[in-house]
Amino acid sequence: MSQAEARKVRYKMGKLERKNTLIAYSFLAPNFIGFAVFTLVPVICAIALSLFEWNGGDISKLKFVGLDNYATIFATKKVAEKGLGYFFNRADLGIALKNTVFYTIVTVPLTIACALILALLLNKIRGAVFFRTVFFFPYVSSMVAICVCWSFMLMKDGPVNQMIMALGINFNKGWTADSTMAIWSIILVSVWRNMGYYMVLYLAALQGIPRELTEAATVDGANKWQQFLHVTLPQLKPTTFFVSVMMVISCFKIYDVVAIMTDGGPGRSTKMLVTYIYDEAFVKVRYGQASAISMVLLVIVLLVTIIQFGSEKKFSND
Amino acid sequence: MKKMLSVLLAAIMMISLLAVPALAEDAKVLTVVTWDATTTPYLVAQKEAFEASHPGVTIEYVDVASQDYAVKTTTMLEGGDTSDVFMIKEIDNLINWQAQGFAAPLKDFDKDYDYSGFKGTEVNYAVDGVQYAIPFRSDFWVLFYNKDLFDAAGAEYPTNDMTWDAYAELAKKLTDKEKDVYGTHYHTWLSAVVNWAVCDGVNTLADKNYDDLLYFYKLYQDLEDAGACMSYADLKASGLHYSAAFANGNIAMLPMGYWYVSTLIGYNKDGTCNFNWGIVAVPHADGVAAGSSFGNLTGAMINEKSEQKELAWEYISWLGGEEGAAATASVGARPAWVSENVASVMSSVEGFPADENSKAALLPSAVAMEWPVAEKVSDIKTIVNEEHSMIMAREVTPEEGIEEMNERVAELFE
Repeated sequence: MSQAEARKVRYKMGKLERKNTLIAYSFLAPNFIGFAVFTLVPVICAIALSLFEWNGGDISKLKFVGLDNYATIFATKKVAEKGLGYFFNRADLGIALKNTVFYTIVTVPLTIACALILALLLNKIRGAVFFRTVFFFPYVSSMVAICVCWSFMLMKDGPVNQMIMALGINFNKGWTADSTMAIWSIILVSVWRNMGYYMVLYLAALQGIPRELTEAATVDGANKWQQFLHVTLPQLKPTTFFVSVMMVISCFKIYDVVAIMTDGGPGRSTKMLVTYIYDEAFVKVRYGQASAISMVLLVIVLLVTIIQFGSEKKFSND
Repeated sequence: MKKMLSVLLAAIMMISLLAVPALAEDAKVLTVVTWDATTTPYLVAQKEAFEASHPGVTIEYVDVASQDYAVKTTTMLEGGDTSDVFMIKEIDNLINWQAQGFAAPLKDFDKDYDYSGFKGTEVNYAVDGVQYAIPFRSDFWVLFYNKDLFDAAGAEYPTNDMTWDAYAELAKKLTDKEKDVYGTHYHTWLSAVVNWAVCDGVNTLADKNYDDLLYFYKLYQDLEDAGACMSYADLKASGLHYSAAFANGNIAMLPMGYWYVSTLIGYNKDGTCNFNWGIVAVPHADGVAAGSSFGNLTGAMINEKSEQKELAWEYISWLGGEEGAAATASVGARPAWVSENVASVMSSVEGFPADENSKAALLPSAVAMEWPVAEKVSDIKTIVNEEHSMIMAREVTPEEGIEEMNERVAELFE
């Protein structure tokens, strides 16, 4: 084959390749354009905005302030003066951070445990379809309706407290009006609502476990608990990994339940990162500062995700 | 033939496209952004009166939920919304909008405008001597009471000259736990519980010292302990609105803004409630003149992006002035424009209580601003409200909460 011929062949292949590539891109385009317009560009703008002071209105009113916004939200002056305790006990960002991390640390394992237990229970029982629907139902219901109902249930003389009282425990405080219980009411509602969704994911994973494995374990004389611990649980690792990544991210972004049930209160006891961002941006109209807080949130979520992906190997099925 | 038909159809479509804007030009439509347009009687009355006196102009309300009003309207303005007029719920909304360049200055229009009827309240809408909005409602707080409950208990009605201590005593007296009757009702807002401290005209909520709120927190907690009002925690959890609570008929007294008059008149008309009620001036602290109250302004501004500013001015100047005031007052709302004519319209509204005390309560001796226009006022609001919720939920004592308010507000200015 002469050089010219060879080039011709390559050209021909290139044409096909180009066509295929174009088709591939055209399939990717709608998603990517949406991502670029509604996510990528705003993220880049927010990064830039966090270095400016801007109270909205005309763009000409943007004022470059460098890292001032970060200094303000981290209360650097006060922290230098009074120590780190000031940041976590007095500064808005410190309190929001503390609340969000606490919420995440409790909610993620609790939701995973509940979802897994439900999935195991509903995997093979009679009438499973009915119960699966029941537990999945909160996930497709309106968040506002759920939160309003729970607010009523958690009132001072509400059904939840009456059940607690019936157990002989003297507890007569409204959950959402009490600064220690308020965050637990948020956790309770989040877990209750989301466990159905993650249950479905676990159910799918459970169906995917080859029956030979459990059969082999039975033949080897493993009891139910041993089977669960050494066969089922390891097989569920990839799902658990996926679920925990998704949950951690969504927990850090908690907003709706808080906004409806407590509005960050009482005091600042349920102030979360996103409610803080919302307050700064839309109530106080300080977009620069709000963007700086979003960057803090972005960095945290990014770090947590990187750590989780770093340990992905441990979670993969060997 | 087919070709002809399709050409003809296309032509008809083109013409119809051209015809729509041509038609629209005749009837001018003024879009006004406001809240609760369907449930607020004075908005209906204003629209009808304005359209009647300005043939060819139609007012079109853009309805925004009241609790989200500031956030949603700011977002609309940021997005370049071209609605002609925006109503102003809180004074600091206008101050923000002015700073952001959304509010059109009125200096081109108001050279010959008569501001005298506003009695100086209009300066709250001025920045550096330039007027940016016209007030059309000025609500001060009064004490509503359920006459039927007072009659049933054989108690004297509240008067226009009553101290807070006398009020508290009365509230306890009217409370009847067996009949589920509460002596009074406090909505969860800061303003409903402790804003009374500003009635003396000296204190404000932005003066960095909150010690003057202590008396009112103690008064409230005493009433809550005595079961004379519903608990804050339950109100918060149930989200019970004061309008529904009082209309239920088992609450003897309710300190609330004057705007509730028109709601109650409406409730009486549609049968939501059917008891007799009256208003008196809010109680006063020792050393403060009887009839002192606090209040808030509601106004309207012209959007800088409006394409018919002349017409928008025509509307807001009418709205604030004598004629607009009469329309506002005709359904029981209190206009910002005060004149004898307007006052007589207010008290002659069908459904307005006929007793002399209620009429006298229409003329407060002094009205302080609920929140002043001040530096960092939105930050102060957040702090004071956060601590308010802690005190009300009894997470901290009033003394501790007020200490926190003092400290945190002071930190803002360091």
